[in-house]
Amino acid sequence: MTGTATAVRSAPRTSPLPRPRRRRPDRFKVLTAILVTVIVIVQVYPLAWLFLTSLRTEEDFVTGNPFALPSSITFDNYVRAFSLGNLGLNILNSLIVTLGANVLIVILGMMAAYALQVLGFRFSGVVRGLFLLGIIVPVQIALVPLFVDYSAVGALDTYLSMIIPLAGFAFPLSVYLFSSFFEYIPREMYEAASIDGAGPYRIFLGITLPLSTNTIVSVVLVNSIFIWNDFIFANTFVLSDGLKTIPLGLQNYIGAMGNVDWTATFAAVCVTVTPLLLVFLILNRAMIYGLEAGASKG
Amino acid sequence: MLPSRSRLSVAVFLLPPLLVYGIAVLLPIVQSLFLSLFSWDGISSPEFIGLGNYVRMLTGDDVFWTALGNSLGYLVICLVLQLGGGLLVASLLTALTRGRELVKTLYLLPAVISTVAIAFLFQRIYSTSPEGLLNQLLEFVGLGSLARPWLSDVNTVLAAVSIPEGWRFTGLYVVILYAALIAVPQELEEAARLDGASRWTVFSKIRFPYIRPVWITTTIMAATYSLRGFDIPFLLTNGGPGQASELLTTYMYKKAFVGTDFGYASAISVFIVVECLLAVGLIYLLLRRKADA
Repeated sequence: MTGTATAVRSAPRTSPLPRPRRRRPDRFKVLTAILVTVIVIVQVYPLAWLFLTSLRTEEDFVTGNPFALPSSITFDNYVRAFSLGNLGLNILNSLIVTLGANVLIVILGMMAAYALQVLGFRFSGVVRGLFLLGIIVPVQIALVPLFVDYSAVGALDTYLSMIIPLAGFAFPLSVYLFSSFFEYIPREMYEAASIDGAGPYRIFLGITLPLSTNTIVSVVLVNSIFIWNDFIFANTFVLSDGLKTIPLGLQNYIGAMGNVDWTATFAAVCVTVTPLLLVFLILNRAMIYGLEAGASKG
Repeated sequence: MLPSRSRLSVAVFLLPPLLVYGIAVLLPIVQSLFLSLFSWDGISSPEFIGLGNYVRMLTGDDVFWTALGNSLGYLVICLVLQLGGGLLVASLLTALTRGRELVKTLYLLPAVISTVAIAFLFQRIYSTSPEGLLNQLLEFVGLGSLARPWLSDVNTVLAAVSIPEGWRFTGLYVVILYAALIAVPQELEEAARLDGASRWTVFSKIRFPYIRPVWITTTIMAATYSLRGFDIPFLLTNGGPGQASELLTTYMYKKAFVGTDFGYASAISVFIVVECLLAVGLIYLLLRRKADA
């Protein structure tokens, strides 16, 4: 059976193969396609259900069949979602935190990678080891110390209290991604620039930075998923409503006694997921590239 | 190395990143080690007790051991779903001729959604009153007798809080493993098939050994992410009922921010770090040794 599979693959359509020889690999492909479809449906169904529920009326949600399409579509849930919570403010806060952390991650990550990969220095192995530590060590280790430090300097309940640890823990991976990209920039470019009298700063701004655009996009996308959705740092360091990011804002939808307006809550979830989802769907090629590069170059 | 570099330029590029990294990551690690030697409620002055917290943790705290056991269970479920499921789907994808990009994108979708939203979603999937998605599905296929309150049954709660975490990131591993699988040289596989190797032989003797370095990386990623898993159990059950779904991370969080027992919480978090380092070392050793054999 495998012999025919190879024959089909290596002999393109120009050489007509007799039908019986093609049938068996095709059956394997059909089975595979069916299996993949089933797995994808199971994987994605909860999300489709979430979205459909946000369009249902409450009666339909409580009594109706969850596998059926909504009997009537309503946008009331979205209206209630906005009046129950503070979605606009939550989204703004998440944007500020995501933007702030990403700026730090990209700039600092590039600088460190440039020092490690392009400039080079004697103890660079030690520094790489320190950065590797940050990839392995779980974020929980930082919660108590940062809480203590923040309260000592009055930094609790600020944007910065979320941005610093988010950037700090995401930063090693970005150093890693930038380093592996910088390896591909040909030495000759640097040497030519050096002969023309450019110093390390001009080379960084003139050669490394402009060439890194794609890597920057990948780094930002991959990190944004985690930062946009961060719960643990926000939940630990933020107390006031004015600074709550999306994950904390969503929690407000659980009313007293656990009474939840589910359809409105699901509408709120849909609203908060949308910005990242749009970016993801538009740029998913870059994001997938970033994820693949991050792990396969290890 | 650049010919025109100077010590100053290295420092200019290296110190700002190290400073932020030091404040956010390195200093807290050192502080945790330090704090774990004290008994401190955050208000009165800390009292030095040496290894007292560790002794209490390892010998006198049943909840700690329960939480450790649960964490390992959580780890196993997440690894099976993420690595097993990821490898299966990635392998199937390589056999597909169309729609690979679409499947990858759909698979990654849950990773984009916040854990709070996922917790809401699964709360509704598992619930009994009103009847949740899972119980309705079971009744629909005639297994209504299995329906139960998944999150308040002590026998099912750990699996119930682990599955969302496994589900959420499977796509990540599908994408990574798929990229590794399609990098396996076609000639190798074709040569083996010409020699009459079955699909399974091709997979186990050629494909898998070839992607082993990536497999080691993904196993380490999945294991360390699972050992630090926190959000979903915290949000869904907060460790309950009783301690049936308490993980080390949720236990540590409660000790720190509900019980304000900062010293003891630091000892637990040091333990979590040691656990992660051990896991990484173990995975590396085990998978490496097989590669040499």
